[in-house]
Amino acid sequence: MKSNRIIRYILLYFASALFLAVFVGPFLWMIGASLQLERQLMQVPASLWPDPVSFASYKEIIYGALFDEAVISTEGYSSSYQARVYLGSFVNSGIIALSVSFFSVVFGAYAAYPIARLNFRGRYTLLFSILVVRLVPALSLAIPIVLFAKKMGMNDNLVTLIFINMSFVLPYSIWLLQAYFKTIPTELEDAARMDGCNRFQVANKIIIPLSIPGLTTAAILAFLLSWGEFLFALLITETEKSYTSTVVAGMFATALDVSYVTIIAAGVLAVIPPVVFALFFQKYIISGLLSGAVK
Amino acid sequence: MMKKWLTIAALALVGWAAPASAQDVDVELTGWPYQVDVVRENLERFTSQSGLSATFNPFPSNEYHTKMVSSFASGTNFDIVYVRDSFLAEWAAAGWIVPLTGLPGVDEYMADLPQGIIDQMSFEGEVYGLPYYSGNSVFVYNDRLMKQAGISSPPKTWNELMQQAQTMKDKGVLASPIVIGLAANENSILRTLEIVSAGFGGRFFNDKLEPVFQEPNSGVRKALAWIADGMKSGLINQASMSQGDGEIDQFVRSGTAAFSLVTDYEMKVLNDSEQSNEAGNIKNALVPGSADATSGTIGYVRLYSITSEADKEQAWKLVQFLGGKDATGVYYVPKRWALEFGLGFSPAPLYKDDDVRNSISGWINPDLLQEQAKYAINRGYRFVPYFSDWEIEAWAGFQEIINGGDADPILEELAENWNELQSEY
Amino acid sequence: MTKNSSSEIPQGRLALIFSAPALLILAVTVLVPLAYAIYLSFHRYNLKRAKRPFAGFRNYEKILTDDKFWDSLATSFIFAASAVAVITVVAFFLALLLNQDYPGRGILRALLLIPWAIPDVVNALLWKWLLHPAFGVMNALFQMGGIIDQYVAWLTTMPSAMIWVIIAYSWKNIPLATLLILAGLQTIPKTLHEAAELEGANAWKRTQYITLPLLRPTLTVVLIFETIFALKVFDIIYVLTSGGPGKSTTVLGWSIYINTFKKLDFGTGSALAMILGLITLFIAIVFYAFLDRGEKQ
Repeated sequence: MKSNRIIRYILLYFASALFLAVFVGPFLWMIGASLQLERQLMQVPASLWPDPVSFASYKEIIYGALFDEAVISTEGYSSSYQARVYLGSFVNSGIIALSVSFFSVVFGAYAAYPIARLNFRGRYTLLFSILVVRLVPALSLAIPIVLFAKKMGMNDNLVTLIFINMSFVLPYSIWLLQAYFKTIPTELEDAARMDGCNRFQVANKIIIPLSIPGLTTAAILAFLLSWGEFLFALLITETEKSYTSTVVAGMFATALDVSYVTIIAAGVLAVIPPVVFALFFQKYIISGLLSGAVK
Repeated sequence: MMKKWLTIAALALVGWAAPASAQDVDVELTGWPYQVDVVRENLERFTSQSGLSATFNPFPSNEYHTKMVSSFASGTNFDIVYVRDSFLAEWAAAGWIVPLTGLPGVDEYMADLPQGIIDQMSFEGEVYGLPYYSGNSVFVYNDRLMKQAGISSPPKTWNELMQQAQTMKDKGVLASPIVIGLAANENSILRTLEIVSAGFGGRFFNDKLEPVFQEPNSGVRKALAWIADGMKSGLINQASMSQGDGEIDQFVRSGTAAFSLVTDYEMKVLNDSEQSNEAGNIKNALVPGSADATSGTIGYVRLYSITSEADKEQAWKLVQFLGGKDATGVYYVPKRWALEFGLGFSPAPLYKDDDVRNSISGWINPDLLQEQAKYAINRGYRFVPYFSDWEIEAWAGFQEIINGGDADPILEELAENWNELQSEY
Repeated sequence: MTKNSSSEIPQGRLALIFSAPALLILAVTVLVPLAYAIYLSFHRYNLKRAKRPFAGFRNYEKILTDDKFWDSLATSFIFAASAVAVITVVAFFLALLLNQDYPGRGILRALLLIPWAIPDVVNALLWKWLLHPAFGVMNALFQMGGIIDQYVAWLTTMPSAMIWVIIAYSWKNIPLATLLILAGLQTIPKTLHEAAELEGANAWKRTQYITLPLLRPTLTVVLIFETIFALKVFDIIYVLTSGGPGKSTTVLGWSIYINTFKKLDFGTGSALAMILGLITLFIAIVFYAFLDRGEKQ
């Protein structure tokens, strides 16, 4: 019995190590590569860890965001346009991702509530059609959307991007939330209704406060999807004031001179906000999915 | 409670995301983000000379075509845009850019440019802009690796190149010494095939724009066979198939390739010790040829085009400043790009300019460069609106042949496809 | 209760009121553009031509009679089937692992989120470098481990190009599937397993007869979501292979991109998108029917 347990632990940790190598290894390589010199990146065989460690590309991006060109050059660095505006574009991406999380959870919760709780004809049809609208590839809606945005004077506007991203996220949040709401005991709701609460009050005072983990999960899903969105950010934004981080990241590669290390460093930085966001709420994600998601 | 939060959030959102009020600017320039600060400095000079305000707005380089197409299609008004010669016919056919015809001083600029460059800026007989930078593809070799393998001079023919590569392999210098761009994109497989085919004395289409590449014993067939053999023997690096323009030079910079075809401006990076492990070892030579042709290459142009007939005169002032002469009568901007950044140029006066000659000879042989330009082939077939439709099918077809597919049916189908497109338009 | 309901708004209308904001957003941002895309799909609409006449079903007819469409549909199916299989199987075993009780499990669950949190653009860049034919870590590691003698250009031959595209895609999509399945696992009462163990059922038997049947609704949801995503794949193809070598990884998502943004043929691009949408819809309905039956059992 005891040796059985030892074997079990050996197997478990072996599997865990494999898991770490496969799922975290590539990201670790990325961090390592971002600390290399450009010349070292193009080395055969590839080095697994930078030697010497160089923070040049991070300095370029961070100094670029903080100081103007004159100050940077006194430090012996230069900073490209892309590096200067990169971290600033995180603000735009952040506004979009946070707004999408917030509104898609609010609107998603109100849409999910009747599907989970009310008894009306066609509620499964409603649930299914919400998913169906997303079956056509977004790529083919791109030109029509850009055209309409332009017609309404909504191009180059973060609000437009918030709406577009919400339409990507909402179907998934609604599915997730209606499943979560179903796990909340109906007795609580019945009691509240006996006390004279109407459906809105029930949703606001009972269902939503009890679903914080589910709502958090939906919010994180929304944040992750909209933070990394590229195609529509590219097509809708037109000036520095509205560029998102993905658009500026796309600008680091120019046809003529490409600093691959800087691109990789920019990639590592782009991962930080969603990873921090996700890790911060990971406790909620797990429990949110645990009680919800699965009908 | 919920309502209050909603109101606050909505207010915050509107405050943050309110559209920036558009300032009135005389001329707007739109392009990809190469050296944005330098472009803006140049525009300041333009403003101080002309009194017209000008802005530069960059979009991501790799997605420039996608972005511009969707903007044009939804009716965005640009003033002046960067154009790659590969988009020219398409954008002109769609009416997104307008010809320079009738503007004052155009003829003088044309007199300074070689005919090959003018052809690459033309659609249906009209010129659509002035060059931003331009030049030709060149053949490069790694001098250090050549010496290591005991090879004294660069190859004159494609077959000689293959023999030299074999020597390098036999002496254990490099297993796959040749890397050429064969990826499926605008700047890769077809350009490489055009160059190699030219060296075998062949071309894709005749002057009447009829396909000739599928004919038996065509130069294109010889080029395809030469590449396919090289891939099979491993002397051409298999990685070539996934590498495009720009990615190729990683192999040259790292010393993993000894022979390659690159665009002239890349020579500067290849010989820059900050970015290259082989700085100083990379030399240019004439592109190899064969019994049928001494050499062959293809040109490229990136140009400034005007997007609408309204305010054309005003936009032309900036196009002239950027691609031609400034108020003091010199090619100020093209010269600056050549001197400080190694970008290729076409106006004849710059070839004679001592500053320019001294500067570029640090990383490329200017005489060889000028000689290479004489072998540039005419590619009028690229400047028809259906070329891009055909090209996309061609990339995949040629990749299949290079990977060992049967050439006959694929080439026949591509020729048929061209004729079909031609009759449709 | 009866009295209560009669004095209230009918439930159907109530449902509409509740979901109005969400439905409005979806209508404006999806249905309106979708209607326009459908309109385009019935026209010969190429930006390079001045005339854009109504074409009836000609775009559809042209697509459906073209071998290239069927080839790329087959490629899409191969990609989607393999990716969904890899994702579901790996996620299932990963979920089993993370469902075990052992020290360190919490950290692993947290780290699992990293691939999920990496934006698509960054993910593609990451894999491009990992697989680089000369400077890639994969080549270095595989050679060190003696798996390959010579460096391999992974993305230029078949089937290796397809395999790596599937791996890169799955890597990013496994975490969400794992979390969903993990959640499903936790709803299975522990007592069931304990009882079976007492009766002498081994781990495999218990998985087969207890875990899998009870996990069926979860797995169906995972299958529906992942299939929809995988059939629409575009990003990873765009960066890693551009549909090549030859046309080997030309999935429908890539064809739509080529037709719309390279050939500027919005008519054909939109028609292709509608066809892909209908195929996905059909598959989703089949899965959904299974889910429904599973629920009623």
